[in-house]
Amino acid sequence: MINEHRYSFSLIASALLLPALACAADSPAAASSKVNWVPPGGRIGYVLTNEVSWGIRETPDHKEECPNGFNIGPREQFAQLYPKDGKKRTLVETQLEREGQIWSPDTTPDEFPFYEATGKYALGIDLDGKDTPEDFESDDGRKGIDNQLFRVVGCVRNYRQEGELGIITTKWRAQKPFNRVTFELTGVDSLENDPDVTVSYYRTLDTLLAGPTGNYMPGGSQRVDTRWGKRFIGTAKGRIVNGVLETKPFDQLLMPEDGMGDPAINIFRTAQLRLKLTPEKAEGLLGGFIDVEQWYYAMNTSWATHHAAYGQASAASIYKALHRLADGFPDPRTHQNTAISGYLSIKLVQAYVVHSEAEKNIVAAKR
Amino acid sequence: MIRLSNVLESLLAVSVLAGSWVAAANGTVPDWPDKSLVKEQYESVPMPPGFQIVVTEQEGPVFADARGHTLYTWPVRQLRNGPVGERKGQPSCDKTVYTVNSGLMSPYPGGFELPDVATRPSCLDQWPPALAAEDAKPVGKWTIAQRKDGLKQWAYDGYPLYTSVLDHQPGTVNGGISGPTGEVGVRRPAAAPSMVPPQFTVTTRLTGRTLTTIDNNSVYASSKDQPDKSNCTAQCLTDWKPIVAPAYARPRGEFGVIERSPGIYQWTFRKQPLYTHNGEPFNKMYGSDVPGWYNVYTQHTPRPPAEFTVQESPTGLVLGDKNGKTVYVYMCADDALDQLACDVPDSPQVYRFTVCGGGDPKRCLERFPYVAAPKDAKTGNLLWSAMWIDPTIGKKAEPEQTGAMHVWAYRERPVYTHYRDQRPGDMTADQWGEFYGYRNGYKAFWLRSDFGVRTE
Repeated sequence: MINEHRYSFSLIASALLLPALACAADSPAAASSKVNWVPPGGRIGYVLTNEVSWGIRETPDHKEECPNGFNIGPREQFAQLYPKDGKKRTLVETQLEREGQIWSPDTTPDEFPFYEATGKYALGIDLDGKDTPEDFESDDGRKGIDNQLFRVVGCVRNYRQEGELGIITTKWRAQKPFNRVTFELTGVDSLENDPDVTVSYYRTLDTLLAGPTGNYMPGGSQRVDTRWGKRFIGTAKGRIVNGVLETKPFDQLLMPEDGMGDPAINIFRTAQLRLKLTPEKAEGLLGGFIDVEQWYYAMNTSWATHHAAYGQASAASIYKALHRLADGFPDPRTHQNTAISGYLSIKLVQAYVVHSEAEKNIVAAKR
Repeated sequence: MIRLSNVLESLLAVSVLAGSWVAAANGTVPDWPDKSLVKEQYESVPMPPGFQIVVTEQEGPVFADARGHTLYTWPVRQLRNGPVGERKGQPSCDKTVYTVNSGLMSPYPGGFELPDVATRPSCLDQWPPALAAEDAKPVGKWTIAQRKDGLKQWAYDGYPLYTSVLDHQPGTVNGGISGPTGEVGVRRPAAAPSMVPPQFTVTTRLTGRTLTTIDNNSVYASSKDQPDKSNCTAQCLTDWKPIVAPAYARPRGEFGVIERSPGIYQWTFRKQPLYTHNGEPFNKMYGSDVPGWYNVYTQHTPRPPAEFTVQESPTGLVLGDKNGKTVYVYMCADDALDQLACDVPDSPQVYRFTVCGGGDPKRCLERFPYVAAPKDAKTGNLLWSAMWIDPTIGKKAEPEQTGAMHVWAYRERPVYTHYRDQRPGDMTADQWGEFYGYRNGYKAFWLRSDFGVRTE
């Protein structure tokens, strides 16, 4: 749907669609096999279609990253704390006690064992330019990989491919309009190597273009949400090296997270992208230092204890681990870290980004 | 910050057409339309003696008893681990005082002693049935259900009818709402039929009752139209679709029919030609962003207190306090088989204290502070009020009682802000609490939600 009030079709056509159509031979689909392909006007957008995981490197038998197995969840913890032993208990000292720990968590030592993901390797980026003992190495040999969130959720089933998030969140990431986000690269001289590109980030409004089998296809359009999406808009510089986009940090990147019901937002501080680009799609990582409190409460407002229990995700235990392993943005007063290095593994397909006049004012106001 | 009335101007513009929009003398905070000028019309349906239809401020026309007290039903609802509520013709609300939770809410099992069990009321204590005389006869959709205690009870559309002890005067609907309530076995106000043609229905939002097509498309009107005359032609029709009336349609109530072109008829409401917005998803209000186009309300809810504001969030419009912080309502029903409310100050407060402060009332005050009201606060409507609260126990207090706070309340329930919301439009506590805030938690006061669950 094109809303006449919000989007000038002539603007769209002149800026994007017509050039794209006129240069049909240079369209992403036609260019997929070309090397050093230049997108029309030096501009190409990618809309997020799949949230694969929270940056978890899974091995087939999980022995490498979870040698001690997986963590137990709310249901199992409840059963251990309050066994069916005939003892009379109150709701206050059982269910409400557990819910209280979810909504008023603390960092006291966990009463249950918590298995952190471990090993030499992890997905990620060297976010801080240091290679410290707690850092990982990437599969392609990069050192200093910061990914402490992997340690937190890597052995929680809910966050793995077999878990509820792996199954359902990916579906919702694509289906729910609140979650629609799009990156647009401008100033692109080559999709293979370009030392200076600009990457803009938007919440966008349109449904994904899907094929008959549900596969997401390139060539759709995405209108920038200038009505409710102002706060999502951001820009960073980047470069393309051998077909991989690496950005400098966005000051802050807000990632919408609509799970069950009303939406939440995650905050990536000094967010960076590392995406393998083709004319038709992009795949890789969105990483940064994730605001711990926001991530925790976004998780809980998006996933009730009932649903978290399916994937054995104990919020109270995760909270303690989040703060134990947080590694960025120390609070100047308490010196406690407020953010944790982490990632979203993401997949995107090419899309034409439709801009409006209103967007210019928003961008100007943000400067 | 956007003042409440400024932002809602577009929502209320239909009433501008009716001439009921009144700018305030100081030019900054216009009043909402006078609710008495615009009330939804309803169908006259056969009713037994002693009952009536009351047009309430938010829920519109509802059935009521002779006192004007709203009637409710308790339709059966499948929760995670089993059903609660009543099936048609089978009243189950009785004098049983439940002492343990039912375990219907996964992942927690049942069998644990409920809070304040010594003073816990029964279902009948909270929900007095609408009893029928021995010789009462069914009328229309009103039938008579036989209770297990030997008494007879009126039912509407098969569902037994009750009043709520939370309603103390005609026109209040404090016992339940018709909107989304999550996985809770709540009571619903017994809605009386709105006087709308079969192509339409009426949707309750926190801003008022909006006309919707039977296919769940929002209904719009245009300020460029004239009474009983559509000026939407040619290019206009690419975005807006006149709601076509069948040839046999006749004017009735506030609905009329105009002939757009020979043989093509269009519905009107209060003389405004009606449209849907092409391509708009179900139940959305996108069209009201287009200058000159408005959602059509059968009636508006009374305005919140003047100091409240409206804020733009990433999801839509949300009510804010005078500082722009998002306003939250607290929702709670316990997990006993009778699903009694625990979201009013007279109910057990331990549920709320659990999710707002880990059981600590002082921490709750820091994290979910009440929205303070002036001591001379008055609202002039039934939805909003001010009450004295003892924050140490969360219950009502005597006026000027030591330590008591005077706070704003919506439907007799205090409203709150949240400590993690930093700037206007933040909504970090929406769905805070058990089962997405519905079972025991907080929901943002959505005036328009373009994403997520419709809660407005």
